[in-house]
Formats: sequence, structure tokens, C-alpha cells
Amino acid sequence: MDMDTLLQYQWNSMMPEFTILLTAVALSLIDLFMNKKKDRSLLIWLALAGIAAAIVFLFLQFDDGVVSILNETYRLDSFAKAFKFLMLIGTGFVLLLGVPDESTSVRGEYIYLILTALLGGMMMASSADLITLFVGLELLSLSSYVLVGIRKNNTLANEAAFKYVVNGGIATAITLFGMSYLYGLTGETNIYEIQGLMGSDVVTDNRFLAVFAFLMIVVGLSFKITAAPFHMWAPDVYQGAETPVTAFLSVVSKIAGFAIMLRLLMVPFVFAPGTREVITPDGVNYETLLVSVRPYLVLIAVLTILIGNVIALRQLNAKRLFAYSSIAHAGYLLVPLAALSELVFDAVWFYLTAYLLMNIGAFAVIHVMSAEEEVTVASFAGLFKRSPYLTIAMSIYLLSLAGIPLTAGFIGKFEIFMSALGTEPKRYLLVTAMLMGTVLSYVYYFGFFVQMYFRPSKHQTPVTISNGVTAVLAITVAGTVLLGIFPSVALTFIHDHFQFLEIFNQ
Amino acid sequence: MSSVPLSAFLVTALLLFCMGLYGALTKRNAVIVLISIELMLNAVNLNLVAFAKYGVGASIRGQVFSLFTITVAAAEAAVGLAILIALYRNRATVNVDEMNTLKK
Repeated sequence: MDMDTLLQYQWNSMMPEFTILLTAVALSLIDLFMNKKKDRSLLIWLALAGIAAAIVFLFLQFDDGVVSILNETYRLDSFAKAFKFLMLIGTGFVLLLGVPDESTSVRGEYIYLILTALLGGMMMASSADLITLFVGLELLSLSSYVLVGIRKNNTLANEAAFKYVVNGGIATAITLFGMSYLYGLTGETNIYEIQGLMGSDVVTDNRFLAVFAFLMIVVGLSFKITAAPFHMWAPDVYQGAETPVTAFLSVVSKIAGFAIMLRLLMVPFVFAPGTREVITPDGVNYETLLVSVRPYLVLIAVLTILIGNVIALRQLNAKRLFAYSSIAHAGYLLVPLAALSELVFDAVWFYLTAYLLMNIGAFAVIHVMSAEEEVTVASFAGLFKRSPYLTIAMSIYLLSLAGIPLTAGFIGKFEIFMSALGTEPKRYLLVTAMLMGTVLSYVYYFGFFVQMYFRPSKHQTPVTISNGVTAVLAITVAGTVLLGIFPSVALTFIHDHFQFLEIFNQ
Repeated sequence: MSSVPLSAFLVTALLLFCMGLYGALTKRNAVIVLISIELMLNAVNLNLVAFAKYGVGASIRGQVFSLFTITVAAAEAAVGLAILIALYRNRATVNVDEMNTLKK
């Protein structure tokens, strides 16, 4: 490869990534040369400026077609843009949560590690090669391991970080093991090349190996989205990490996980042969692999929904409770995938948008409360008397998480129901599990309402809220309500700018 | 020269992977747990290199992939050990069974 080839690439399609990379590098240098005693909140504002610039660059690319550069390893399509947009917004909120006030301070490392994690997530969303997908995944994972353990003198944080590393390492190894078989079956690492080679005789003869590779990849990636076989780390890590980091893990990291999962499961395997034989007029054929493995995907989705909701019922610590609630939401998000619906991308994207707004908001409230003590459900007692606005915001998030009409969460759940019922045959099992999960979730979400409105409080003073958190609360409340009342705004936005099925084209 | 068939490499890698998984799930010493994870990652490398030499459409890509895996595994081990050292300074233990202060 010579200089001319390098210069021919449309480098401008990577502008958002370059912006984030440059911001992260610049911030680490500024942090290095800055006076040690000086306040680091300037760095947060610089990082936010970088994210804003990246969002602008992303908007400028919105109506371009599919671009793939760097020997087809980097691919910018509607799917990538949609998920990158969500990740950038989510990271912006997380950084705003971390803006320190008079009594607190922020570490420089925290800011630029969040940016490198974001960069990894963005690479995951727009890679078309197993190697770059893996490197993006690990950039996100390694940054988040350090972020969880950043309070190095806190034993809870140490323990959470160690559990996260061990679980993450095992999950990575399992994913890679699956990927190595995918490479072995086709001799290619580019997922679009693999898609084309999946119909070959070698794969048909070794189709059980393809199913094995698929299942290994699902199990490994379920770590990132906190789905059933790999959900056990979530409560411990969410509890031990600082609240903004928890918000990052539960939102941005999960969005990135869904981006890689959808691309890596749908693209290479879409034409792969499955295990069962089907007699067609032109001889014996095989059903597609996705149809063969559907029962396993259904099992994972149902288990995730039930485990998340049932164990959340008996949690007292607020962050652990939200960890299980976030496991349950991962289960809801798996429903369209397990239903193999055509609307999978639209439904998942919309639900992730709603989830981003309501979950970041809920963690913002927990972040505010955690200034006083370890936040339990009982810490919310009498909150309405102390801080009425904060209570109303929290109520809106809880209603949205529970899926009550007029909130974004309701529309998101509705879209998922429609995607599961729009397939042939209709997926009643998945819908039933989701309904049961939703009803169970009312119990623990409404437990907060009882505390906030009807119980007397131990403290009388109002809760102090920093300006960054106020901004997050205002935007997320507005977004949750607006998307609930006018969902067509977001839905037309999807239809005008994103052609999700581009993901399958070579 | 190639009297060893591809399947022999794959079975070795599978055994290595299972040993690593077993170790990571059952061992009590945190350092052994990290080493077991390395075993699992090395099983992947063995797979990739074997496929790159004897697999379908054998190409250099598998070897390149394994180089990336090795690099990332090293970074992961570094982060894991750094976190373990921080934990050891505060708790003076590397026993996984004693890491149970969360959950309350």
C-alpha cells in the first residue's frame, strides 16, 4: 500500500472518531502539564466541546451513502451512524454528571478514559472486520475496567473492578473462540466476505461448527449487554463503581454491545445453513442458521427478562436494583432479535433511545443522593417534601422505565411488542414473558413512589444539585416526555435518515 | 512435513480452552484466575494460527488476527494485575473467596 492509496480514502467519513481521539490525546497532555492542585473541571468542558464537534460532524454525514475505507475494515452505514449518535449523546450526559461542584473534584483520567471508551464503542459500531470489531470491543472494555477501579483506595471499587476484569476476560476469550471458528470456516476476517462464503460447501459440511461459533459469540457478547449467561457481574460492578461510571456502563457500553451484537450476528450468519434439513423442489436444503438457533435466542431473552425482574424485587440498594432493572431491559431489547423481526433495528434503536434518556436520568438522581450516604430504596423516603422537582423528575423516569403510557418507555415497549407480533408465526412466548416481566417491574418501581411521597424523611434539608446534573435532569425529562407524546418525531427521523437494511449490502 | 492434521490442533486448542475456563471458574487464587484467562486466549491463538496454515483458504489474516489477540491479551493482563495490586494493598488478600464485601 503506497501513499496514493492512503490519500485516496475518504478520511472525512472518520471525522467523528478523529475528533474524539484528538480530544482524548489533547486532554491527557493538558492533564499532564497542568498544575496538580488546579481544578480539572476545565477538562470536562473541553471533552464536552469535543463530543459536540463529533456530533456536528456526524450530522453532516447523515445523508451520505455507505462508505467503506481502510481495505473495507471501516464501514460507515446508517446503522453505524444511528448507534454512534446515541453513544455520543449518552457520553455527553455522563460527562455532565461528573461536573464537580464546590465540595467535590474530578480526576483527569476519568475524563479521557471515558473518551477512549467512547472511541472503542464507535469503532465497534462501524467496523466490518472481525479484527477491528475485536480491537474496538477491547478498547471499550479496558477503559471501563480502569474507570470502575479509578477510586483505588476504595475496597468496594477494587473488588468491583477485579470482578469486572475476570468476567470480561472470560467473555472476551469466549467471543474470540467463536470468531476463530468463523475465520476457520471461511478463511476471511471481513464479515461481508464471510457472509458471501457462508453458503459454500465447506460450511454446509461443517454447519454444526457454524452453529457452535454463533452460540459462542452470543454467549461472549451477552457480557457487554448484561444478558442471561453473563449478567452476574452487573450488580456488583454497578454498586462498586462511581455513579457516573455506572451510568456509562449501563447505557453507552450497552448500546455499543447491541451495535456489535446486531452486526456480528446478523451480517455473517444471514445466509448460513442451519442444522435441520428442508426438502425443496430442487433437492435437499437446509433452513437458515438464524432459524435453527432461534430457540436459544428466545431462551436467553426470556431468562434475562425473568432473572432481572425477579431478583430486582428483593434488592434494597438502589444501584443494585437498577442493575437488575437494566438486565431486564437488556432482555426486552433481545426480544426483536429473538423474534427475527424485520423491524429489529428500528425497534432496538428506538428502545435504546428511550432507555438512554430514562436510565441516565435515574442514575443522575441516584448520583445526587449519593453525596449523603450509600443510596438505598429507603433513602428516597420523604423526598417529595425535601426536593419536589427532583421527585417529579424521578417519578417520570420510573414511569417511563415501567412503561406507562405518555412516556418514551411505553412507546419503546410498544414498538418491541409490534415487532414480535408482526412476524409469522407471531411470537406469543416472547410477548408473554415481556408482559410478565413488565408487571413484576411495577412492584419495585412503584416501591420508590411509596417512599418518595408517603414516608417521612430522616433529613429535612433540600438535596443540593450541581448545575451539570440539573442540565442532565432537564434534558432527559423533556426527552422522555416528548418522545412519549410525539414519538413520530423520532420515528420519522429514523425513516428519513437511516436505511437500516443497508447493513446487509456488500 | 504436515503430518499433523488440522483436527489435532483444534482438539488441543479446545482442551486448552476448557482447562482455562475450568481454572478461571474454580481457582481461589486471583493470580491463577488471571493466568487461566490467558490460557483461554492462547487457545484462541492456536486455533487462529492452525486455521491460517491448514484451514480453508489459508491466508495470513489469521496470523495477523492472532498478533492483535496477543497484544490485547497483554494489555488486559496488565490492567488486571494493576487492579489486583490495588486490591491487595487495601485488603491484603488475593483469595477470590474473600472478595465478597459487595452484595449488601
